[in-house]
Parts: sequence; structure tokens; C-alpha cells
Amino acid sequence: MKLKNRDKQLALVKGVLDMLPLSLAILPWGILVGSLAVQQGFSAWEAQLMSALVFAGAAQLVAIELISQNASLLTLMITIFVISSRHFLYGLTLRDKLKALPVKSRLATGFVLTDELFALSGHARSYSTPLRIYYGLAAGFSMYLAWNCWTFIGIVAGSYLPDLTDIGLDFAIAVTFIALVMPSIKSWSILAAVVGAGASATLLNLASVELELIIAALVGMSLGYGLSFLDKAQDKCMEKEV
Amino acid sequence: MTVLTILLLACITFATRYLFIHPGFPIRLNARAQKFLSYSAPSVLTAIWVPIILTKNHQLAITASSPYLWGAMVAMIMAWKTKSIYLTAAAGGSVFVAVYMFNIH
Repeated sequence: MKLKNRDKQLALVKGVLDMLPLSLAILPWGILVGSLAVQQGFSAWEAQLMSALVFAGAAQLVAIELISQNASLLTLMITIFVISSRHFLYGLTLRDKLKALPVKSRLATGFVLTDELFALSGHARSYSTPLRIYYGLAAGFSMYLAWNCWTFIGIVAGSYLPDLTDIGLDFAIAVTFIALVMPSIKSWSILAAVVGAGASATLLNLASVELELIIAALVGMSLGYGLSFLDKAQDKCMEKEV
Repeated sequence: MTVLTILLLACITFATRYLFIHPGFPIRLNARAQKFLSYSAPSVLTAIWVPIILTKNHQLAITASSPYLWGAMVAMIMAWKTKSIYLTAAAGGSVFVAVYMFNIH
């Protein structure tokens, strides 16, 4: 199916606009990644390359710390793997939608499959048409561009700026995620999943458990799945609508 | 050397993102697995944002003067009522800044 230019433009604009609040929310982290890398002895070029290729906030921050502490390559790889392991869930969840994509779109979508793009991929028909694939790529790569711009600002201006995460700008991430999660709570079982994941993530965070995120997510998912009988009636109504 | 390390890290993050969307990967998801995975988005996102609000440096940070707590509560109500990410961010952000400023003065 050939895409009309006008439709493409609309999908592009919608993708960029839907991602925009999330692209802005990562500004403090992008600046931090850029400035921290330079302060820890990375060249400007290496710092930018890292954002261009790795494209992962938490993983990059930890990697910069570990590299500057001369941690062993094995430690570095295992730590980054652990932090990135939540992506397995995203791939699994979107597998049936994304495995059918043309190879280039699939590789490109995989490359930009961040927490944020995953959050925007929840629609039942996401990635099901060329236009929807295009929308996903527009959203994903607009955030990629933003991340690299913020990193660049951090590299250039880093030492002149205060640590923006220290004055509470990590709240920006939290507030956008709240905005994404709340409307998706459409059943009792999803509510259970959310409460379970939030509570266990907090407890694991207090106990400084490394695999905090993925364990908490699995707790939430298990709770939701286990309690899905609560919304059987609701499911039936949904099926009729479809 | 650093460039090689960066390349290696890029391979790890890409692999974790791409592995399960590769059509050749030998796994089939049945309906139950799909159902289980349908809870992944709200669960992971919540596992990310709740500790930002409730903890600081692995310590519980629940106080009446916490801008995180007030901002999050307003954001939750706003997101629930309006479903708009822009309105939610604006309302939550304003309350956060207001409480933050109030604490300083």
C-alpha cells in the first residue's frame, strides 16, 4: 500500500506531538547524561556517540559512572543488561504486532523501543497499517532526536548548569507516566496490577534490589492476571463492542 | 577503547529491545501469555514512577511538605478526569513548583 504524502504528514505530526511531552520530560536526564559524561572524562564525541547508539537514559547514566570508576567490562555488561532487561517485556508484549513488520521498519522500531514508545504502543491496532507503523517511527525517532539534542546541550553547557535532577526535575518523568497510566486503568485487574507494581517497586527500591523494575512489573502483571476473573463481565461487554 | 565499550553497550540495549520482535525467534505466545503481557505497560510504567514520588536515595520520602506527593496526587486526579497528558503535566507541574517554592521560603 502506497502512503499518501498528506496522510504521512499527519501521522508524522501526530507521532511527534504525542511524544512531545515525553521528549520534554527527559530533558533534565539528557543534559545530565551529556554533562556527566564530559565531567567523567569522556570526549564530547564519545558522549554524543553514546546517546546516538545506546539511546537509554538509566543505562547510560550507570554506564558512565561505572566506566569512570574503571569497573570491569563484565560488571558493566551485566549491569547494563539488568537495567535493560525490562525491554524484553516490551518486545514480548508487542511481538505479534511487530514481527510482521517489513525488516527495515522492524529494526528501526526496535532501535527506538523505549519506555515511552512502548507506552504509546498500547492501542489494539497499533502497527497494523503502514500509516500506524509510520506514526510509531515518527514518535520513536522524534524522541531519539530530542534525547540527542538534550545530550548535546549537556555536553556543551553541562558545567555551567546545576544538576537539574537534583532540584526535582525527575518529577517530569513521573508526571508524564502518571498521565499515561491513569487513563489505562479501565478494569479492577489493571488497578490491581498498578497498585501491586507500584508498591513492590517502592519496597524493592528501599531494599536497593538491582532487578527492582522487572520484579515489580512481574508482581503487578501476576496480580492483574490472577485477579482478571474480577472483570470477566466487563470483558464480555468489550467483546460485544468489538 | 571507550568507543568499543559504547558499541558493546549499544549491542546489549538493542538486543534486549529487538530479540522478541524478531520473527525468527522461536517462541509462540498463547492467549494466556498474551493476557499476562497485557498488564506489562501499566505495571512497568508504574514501577518507574511510584518510587520517584515516594523515595529519595533509597529512603522513604513521604512528608506533608513533599512537592512530589502533592504534584503526583493532583496529576493522578487530572489524568483520571481529563486523560490529557498536557493538562496533567501542567497541573501536576504547577503544584510541584508551588510546593517546592513554598518550602524554600
